[in-house]
Amino acid sequence: MVLTSTFTPRNFREQSEKACHDATLRAVLDHATRYFMGKRGVALEAFADRDTHFARARAARLTALSRLPDLLEQLEQRATAAGTKVHWAHDAAQAREIVAGIARGCGAKVVVKGKSMVTEEIALNPALEADGIEVWETDLGEFIVQLAEEPPSHIIAPCIHKSRADVAALFREKLGLAGLSGQEDLEDSASIPELTLLARRALREKFLAADLGVTGVNIAVAETGSVILVENEGNIRMSTTCPPVHVAIMSLEKVAASLEDAADILRVLPRSATGQKMSSYVSVLTGPRRSGELDGARETHLVILDNGRSEILADAVLREALLCFRCGACLNSCPVYQTIGGHAYGSVYSGPIGTLLSSLLLPAKDTRDLPFGCTLCGACKKTCPLGIDHPKLMLRLRERVCAGSPGLASAAHTFLALHPLAYRLVMGAARAVDPHLNLLPRLPGLPSGLASFVDSRQPPELKKPFTAQLRNARKKRGGA
Amino acid sequence: MRIKLMIPCLVEDCLPEIGLAVVSVLERLGCGVGHPKGQTCCGQMAFKTGDAAGARAQALRSLDVFAGPEPVVCPSGSCAKMLRTYPQLFEPGTPDHARALALAGRVVEFCEFVLTLPGAPDFGARLTARAALHRSCQLDGSDAPQRLLAAVHGLTLLEPERPERCCGFGGLFSLQFPAVSESLVEDKARELLALNPDILVSAEPSCLMNISGYLSRSGSPVRTLHAAQLLDLALNGALTGGVSWS
Repeated sequence: MVLTSTFTPRNFREQSEKACHDATLRAVLDHATRYFMGKRGVALEAFADRDTHFARARAARLTALSRLPDLLEQLEQRATAAGTKVHWAHDAAQAREIVAGIARGCGAKVVVKGKSMVTEEIALNPALEADGIEVWETDLGEFIVQLAEEPPSHIIAPCIHKSRADVAALFREKLGLAGLSGQEDLEDSASIPELTLLARRALREKFLAADLGVTGVNIAVAETGSVILVENEGNIRMSTTCPPVHVAIMSLEKVAASLEDAADILRVLPRSATGQKMSSYVSVLTGPRRSGELDGARETHLVILDNGRSEILADAVLREALLCFRCGACLNSCPVYQTIGGHAYGSVYSGPIGTLLSSLLLPAKDTRDLPFGCTLCGACKKTCPLGIDHPKLMLRLRERVCAGSPGLASAAHTFLALHPLAYRLVMGAARAVDPHLNLLPRLPGLPSGLASFVDSRQPPELKKPFTAQLRNARKKRGGA
Repeated sequence: MRIKLMIPCLVEDCLPEIGLAVVSVLERLGCGVGHPKGQTCCGQMAFKTGDAAGARAQALRSLDVFAGPEPVVCPSGSCAKMLRTYPQLFEPGTPDHARALALAGRVVEFCEFVLTLPGAPDFGARLTARAALHRSCQLDGSDAPQRLLAAVHGLTLLEPERPERCCGFGGLFSLQFPAVSESLVEDKARELLALNPDILVSAEPSCLMNISGYLSRSGSPVRTLHAAQLLDLALNGALTGGVSWS
């Protein structure tokens, strides 16, 4: 993964500490995540037999993972039979090369893209642009972050970190647009419909000029060789139908065995993501335009990307992360994400599921801090419609980072915990010397954050231990 | 009924008054309270920092310390949860795994345990006050504290806007990500204080330490109590353990 900004998971701690001091960002995130959670809550409240539907969606995802090699082979066969050219990409570089090759093959000068996290994962845009191709994001949120030269900060809401005024200022600067009247400059108070209309005008031109459309995949159906795309704006459908060539890129776990399994997933995905019974558009695409048909791409490609996922599948605990269908609800429910936003994580996927995926997909040395940026409160697990146990996986990742060699403070603590006498001696000595723990922040070997913790929170006081107090009280009572 | 008391390390050395209130309440409600010797840490710290071997060693100690048939009652959701996690640390089929399973089945969080006692939940406790309840994510959604405290006569039990939201402590998290942790406790304190309470109550000592530490730094006069302390006060009209109630 390559980012268009300077954020990196290596600096996760510094980035998150900085992000939570940004009062505007926090206010925008607070508003947006509450909005999503509110809509979701209402939709799930009205969802009859919710738990049954959740279980069916989980079953569909479990089926996919447990039969993955067979299903992918079947998918290739059926998609090929329907006229789609199927490509296998072992890693990001190979996937970029495949798409760049297709673009060269059709002489593409303009590419339109539907919202896709996997193309962020493989850093497709810079690769195409290096070939002199003009690449346009057509999802409104993606379009906004593209203009801002930022990566998306949320799986399903790429510009969740931007306020309406931010967007108005951005459009004014980058699109050179006047307000709808054409008279005055676009004002910061421009309404959302007005801003949307301006973006639509700009993007219509691109759809008509595009030689190639690139999208992700929400579900690929093995039984029929179809690609299913879920969206609300219609831009993904246009990206697959306006240009003569369509490339869909999927990470390999996105397969479903049958249309029935896909339906089980679709019953839950929009409800959990945006609180909708169904998204405004659901496109089921099976091969290119057939003779006699009026629309659809003339040439269709499907790129199946591994990029480290086969290795995750081999881990009995961590493979659960691959159940995820990217509804984004765990991000909205996570108190840490609500506070720092997506960019602080420094990788394409953020929040609880992003922490898991990034830790698994990126080099271990770059992601050491990620699984520790979590209070293990379990809000994600409670929210996940697929029953992913994020905290359990987070602990498993911490175990991998620790790799059997705990830090000095941790090892000392374990030693004392195993030797009650020594433990009592140390606590007694600490109480005698420094009962109010004033010296604590200066002790060597302890995390550097101790000083800031103590700054904002009165540390506890060391008191006469419970055991001694209980003994005394009981002695007194026995004697009385 | 005889029980064994599991006292979190934080309570042992920093908040002993919570332990004394637990003993007072349990004895008042007719329990014989044993306090096994040699308790240190449940291993949660090692477990949550990824040190599985350290956690396993500490778990083995706890298996010895808490051996026996009695229920093990713990005034902390997170420590109780750690004890219930022990089976994960041992190979299924081994004797230690079997012992861990047996212990896990005997561990009960304080409020849940009190709710199983005869006469529950109305023990005739009485306290006229407005209490804001912090549920604590560490209790895994248990509503035992609500049910227990709702039965206290005269008590107005209030819940903040986002009752289950984390207070931002998270153990080591609060030291590795101190500013994020502070932002979260700031949110929590704001939502709790908006209820205009006399008392802030929770069944989780670590959350209490975090929130009360923040409140005291920001000069708030709101008193923080563990659910056991509130119950002790409401049953006995005074707090056990030399702590004054004004």
